[in-house]
Amino acid sequence: MIEDIYTIEVPFRGTYRLQRLRFGQGGPRLVVVGGLHGNELNSVYALNLLAGALRAQAPVGTVDLIPMANAFGIEEGNKLGPFDDQDLNQCFPGDADGTAMQRVAHALFQASCADVCVDLHSGSILVEELPQVRLSTHGDGHELARSLGLPLVWRRQPRPGNRNQLVDCWRAAGCTAFRITGGRGASLDKRVGASVADSLRRLMGAMGMSRPPAPNPVLADVTDERMVALRCGTGGFFVPEVAVAERVEAGNLLGRIVAPVGGATLEEVRAPCSGMVVTSRLYPMVHAQELLLRLVVLDGG
Amino acid sequence: MTESQAAICRIELPTHNEVEVVRRRFQGSEGPSVALVAGIRGDTPEGIRVLYEITRLLRQLPEICGTVDVYPCANPLAAYAGVQRWPFFDVDLNRRFPGRADGHPPDRVAYELVQNIRGADVVIEIRGAYRAFREICQAHVRAGVPAAIDLASHANVEVVWARTPDTMAPTTFAAQFDTVLVLEGGAGNRLSEGVGEEMTAGVMNVLASLGVVDEQAVPVHWAAIHRPRVVTDAEVLRVRTELGGVFMPSVQAGAVVTRLQQLGTVVDPVHAAVLQRVEAPVAGMVLAIREQPSVHPGSLVARVVADS
Repeated sequence: MIEDIYTIEVPFRGTYRLQRLRFGQGGPRLVVVGGLHGNELNSVYALNLLAGALRAQAPVGTVDLIPMANAFGIEEGNKLGPFDDQDLNQCFPGDADGTAMQRVAHALFQASCADVCVDLHSGSILVEELPQVRLSTHGDGHELARSLGLPLVWRRQPRPGNRNQLVDCWRAAGCTAFRITGGRGASLDKRVGASVADSLRRLMGAMGMSRPPAPNPVLADVTDERMVALRCGTGGFFVPEVAVAERVEAGNLLGRIVAPVGGATLEEVRAPCSGMVVTSRLYPMVHAQELLLRLVVLDGG
Repeated sequence: MTESQAAICRIELPTHNEVEVVRRRFQGSEGPSVALVAGIRGDTPEGIRVLYEITRLLRQLPEICGTVDVYPCANPLAAYAGVQRWPFFDVDLNRRFPGRADGHPPDRVAYELVQNIRGADVVIEIRGAYRAFREICQAHVRAGVPAAIDLASHANVEVVWARTPDTMAPTTFAAQFDTVLVLEGGAGNRLSEGVGEEMTAGVMNVLASLGVVDEQAVPVHWAAIHRPRVVTDAEVLRVRTELGGVFMPSVQAGAVVTRLQQLGTVVDPVHAAVLQRVEAPVAGMVLAIREQPSVHPGSLVARVVADS
């Protein structure tokens, strides 16, 4: 059933609708939100696959899907929202009497606090991310996060700048909360979407809500200390030599920064340790100190 | 008189939201047909305000002679976002005419506007100033169309500019029709005090001069209506910068200036240095002055109408 959980009448173009698909009833309750950022669209595909599975087999308990939180941003192909160009994911827990975006955030937050809450993203338009689940080191849910069977489980220290993000606000409200990301912004990677949908079905299985699909091994389960960010020392044109999910050894060439005019090599980017590529810069024009790659140090690495 | 509303184009968005481009029709007894259009660009709210006021004034009348079609906002998604161009496709609707029936949404809207308006006796586009500028109220008409020039003289503007179509003109809205007036003034993406009222009086006065409405319907006395000067392209001089920097205007739109009078300066704010003194090329009146200060070599900073 599709229902409007919040609407705003807007000038010239009708009604903004925050829509929810609800499956089942009673507890436990799982809420999955997608499309907070209007140019991260793998979640739309993943939630449609999940909705198809839920139509075929109703869950034990309630599953709420909110696939397009930032519907107007999605229409414009814009990460940010249309109301004063704000990032919806920096507006939580929201304010019922605040700006339009804060009101949307408030309505979404009120409607989405559940036993387990998941916020779906893609990588930014600049990078590709290995499908992964991120959760806080300050909270529960580690075993549930592993049950997703995504290649990477990344337990992160809380960041002060994230306190108005949906996941942090869910957790502050006592919910078990995850952020899943994968692929690249402004594009659809069907494999990523399908693996995210499968992971959510495994999560439902772990919550006792359905029969799960076959388990999938977690390739890396790490904290910040085992995540290595590689940045460039100089700006230029980045030519990667590795891709997401590739294993590398210490000293391997990972990519080059070359002069955009003439092609002279300005910098070689080499692996400081052995590990697996989990983030790769795909938009090639880079400024000095921009993120090029992330490596995760594997067990024994 | 009857009033009706119709959607001339429905735009279905990928999310299945729907946006309409609306026509409001006031149909009276026999008389000329007039089309009033605003919001072709999303950063010209002055025109939208004027058509809101015109609609309210027309509703108060017991009868009109002819038909007035009001298109209050041709580009609703851009107007909603307060930006010049159609979002997502990032195209300037005023460079898409006459449009295509089988094109993307901006092209379809352009096409439907032209199809709906074609055949009108008079077309008036109302808009604000270009986004970087403040302008006095003015009417642009096509040179060589005496009927348009005559009508524009009733539009409560200070200047009627009879323009020779430039190379971009074939794809603008105004280029699709013969007897067409483009009213502009005020500031880009702003409502300016008094400008909407002047333009509203101007449009109503044009309708009165056509016999569509009675003179009593014009919100100001006939004696207060501006009697504009009609100028040609040769009499409107564009003033450009030679260097990049921050343009600081010294005069306001409408100012009467002497030849070589300072219109503004281009400064380097980092070194606190004056890079260029921008001067009036002729004695005359400032038609438009730049308010958005960031300029490059060759940026337009003023238009001056030369004294006759």
